[in-house]
Amino acid sequence: MKVYLKYFLPLFLFAASFKMPGQDALHSQFDYAKSLYDKEDYYDAVTEFKRLLFFDAGNKFGYTANEYIGMSYKMGGKFSDAIRYFVYSEINAANFDELFTAKINIVRANILRRTTDRALDLLDSMHVQKKFSSKTGDVYYWKGWAYIFADRWDKAAESFSKTDSSRTLEELCRKVERERYSVPFAEIISHFIPGAGQFYTGHYLSGLLSLGWNVLWGYLTISAFNAGRTFDGVMIANFLWLRFYNGNLQNSSKFAEEENIKISNRALNYLQYNYSGTKP
Amino acid sequence: MKNKKAELIISVLILAAAPLVKAQIKSSENESRWVKWGKADYSYEIKDSFAQRDFSFDEKNPGRFVLKSLLNTYWYFISDVDGDNCSFNPTCSEFFLRSVKMTNIAQGTLMFFDRFTRDMDILGKIGHYPYASNGYFYDPPSLYTLNKNKIIYMPPSAVVSNE
Amino acid sequence: MRKAFLIVLLIFSTSLPQDKKPGDSLNLFSPPNIKKFADYLFCQGDYLRAAGEYENYLKTNYNDTVEFKIAVSLCSMDKYSEAAGRFADIPPASALYQLSKLEFLKTYFLKGSLTEYRAKYSAAGIKSGFRYSNEAESLYNFSYLLNDGPLPDKNKFLASYMGSDRDSAIKFYNWKEDPPHKSALAAALMSAVIPGLGKFYTHEYWDGVFAFLSTGILGYLSYSDFKADHNFRGWLFAGLAAGFYGGNIYGSAASAQLFNAKVNFDFTNMLKNFLSLRNYFIPNINFCR
Repeated sequence: MKVYLKYFLPLFLFAASFKMPGQDALHSQFDYAKSLYDKEDYYDAVTEFKRLLFFDAGNKFGYTANEYIGMSYKMGGKFSDAIRYFVYSEINAANFDELFTAKINIVRANILRRTTDRALDLLDSMHVQKKFSSKTGDVYYWKGWAYIFADRWDKAAESFSKTDSSRTLEELCRKVERERYSVPFAEIISHFIPGAGQFYTGHYLSGLLSLGWNVLWGYLTISAFNAGRTFDGVMIANFLWLRFYNGNLQNSSKFAEEENIKISNRALNYLQYNYSGTKP
Repeated sequence: MKNKKAELIISVLILAAAPLVKAQIKSSENESRWVKWGKADYSYEIKDSFAQRDFSFDEKNPGRFVLKSLLNTYWYFISDVDGDNCSFNPTCSEFFLRSVKMTNIAQGTLMFFDRFTRDMDILGKIGHYPYASNGYFYDPPSLYTLNKNKIIYMPPSAVVSNE
Repeated sequence: MRKAFLIVLLIFSTSLPQDKKPGDSLNLFSPPNIKKFADYLFCQGDYLRAAGEYENYLKTNYNDTVEFKIAVSLCSMDKYSEAAGRFADIPPASALYQLSKLEFLKTYFLKGSLTEYRAKYSAAGIKSGFRYSNEAESLYNFSYLLNDGPLPDKNKFLASYMGSDRDSAIKFYNWKEDPPHKSALAAALMSAVIPGLGKFYTHEYWDGVFAFLSTGILGYLSYSDFKADHNFRGWLFAGLAAGFYGGNIYGSAASAQLFNAKVNFDFTNMLKNFLSLRNYFIPNINFCR
């Protein structure tokens, strides 16, 4: 009996060890794929993670590999593909943390893709669900980012104010909101004084030109009516004065919008390159 | 002796060519890198779609210099402050300039009058012209030079992004 | 005892690696597994990765189907020159040889240069003893519908088509023989007689109305100003009216050309859709059942 044990125990162990290489193959494949991901070789990383998933019959890597594929696509700027694989990772999530991370990954890719409405919808639905109540702060944090990318800095500031640790972001958003020009205001003041909206946004020369043309055509219209040349008056008013008056209104709002984009872009540029916190 | 010299010359040539071959391999590697992909440059910034005027001068031709000066003056003092009246891309004045450049002043003028008529037609435009990416109707002068080979027809459902 | 142990060990060591479950003790990069993964990618439509994996497989094994699928992948990614090269590599002994010849010609057809395509067709020696000579000829004939050269004789053209293909071929041939084009000269002449009429002829009805109105109104204004001795205004409006009149004649001719371009575009699109639906007359093999 002892002899049998002496020979067959090692044999049994040897046989049992044959089960391991398969697992090892998958694990080392995972390590290999991850090393490609770490090297920023995202195309090949996607291939290798796909290979891992293809041979992972037990679906051990269903969450992680899909998440890495999503991240690789995201780093390659392919956000729609990224979202698809984050959704697969969400389907394969095994616990609450994985589920939450997957959902936030989908939100972040939506933010970068600028489908911010979708991101906000997802975040809103997370607000309602009880199981995410412990994560309210995170949800507000990403809502803030979604509003930033939607160019709604006031709402962004409000969202950041509901988290515990986003004072810098909140202040940045408030600052941007203060700096921004009001488009309706620019248009309204240009209704009363042509060129005023242009002055408000710092486009003085264009403002002066608008004012000059409107004064000229206005004067010519009125003097034509005064001289009884009604036809000329109507013609000048219709084809010239009105044209330049409308042009003045269009420019006032256009300039305000252009300046606002510049202001937003300065802040966005800062966020992309100088802000060190978690970003989408 | 001669053979040795030839051998030497050949080997020197091969050595000199090696970096070239290497560069060739490298560029094909880059190409495959490009088909495959690495990290993308993604910008957070908003792209604005406001059209920018090209105020530059064409200095070589005196006729065109005068035309462009007049056009620049018109753009600065009138067109930029009298509102958005042209629903086409390129605008009517730019269409005129490009038509003259493509053909001559007489044909360019005829092309401009035709364009102006089509611009006045407020009823027939929708579903007739393709859109440019800035939302205007795309209508380049190349379609109207009477040179069949220059016509690249695009259906109204197309959106043109390079203008 | 030792003998028994050795025998058992031998049995174990040979049998164990074979009856493993999938996922166990795998070599993910063994040629069969590379091929399996590549087939999966191919059927998912990820052709770039599929082609790469098939290439890896070919490094250690030769398989004509794999070679063929690389070519199909390249063709699906619009890399026609490379695809043509791969199709040409399929050896005559392969069961896919005849089919790959058809595919080879198709890639040249899709590549865009019809002269190049026709040269390849002539060089391929399709006529004698080729199983798919009818299919190849069907595509070849269609190449005459896509450019402006002379058309082949109708009966010769239609010889290779059967059934509903024949009806379509007749329809396309007739169109090409007598396309519904408009004459630029006629359009110009019409607009010279009545401003805007040429644009009606080219189906630009509203443009025609506005051309008629602009010329008419400016002409009338010029006439009435001359009558009232406002000579400057008279000349101004006369000049503008002349500009619109001339511009409309010119524009009507241009519009006829544009009309023809549109008609050609629609025809070409219809033809290409037809060819794509008919798989360029190539028998379909489904690799992803």
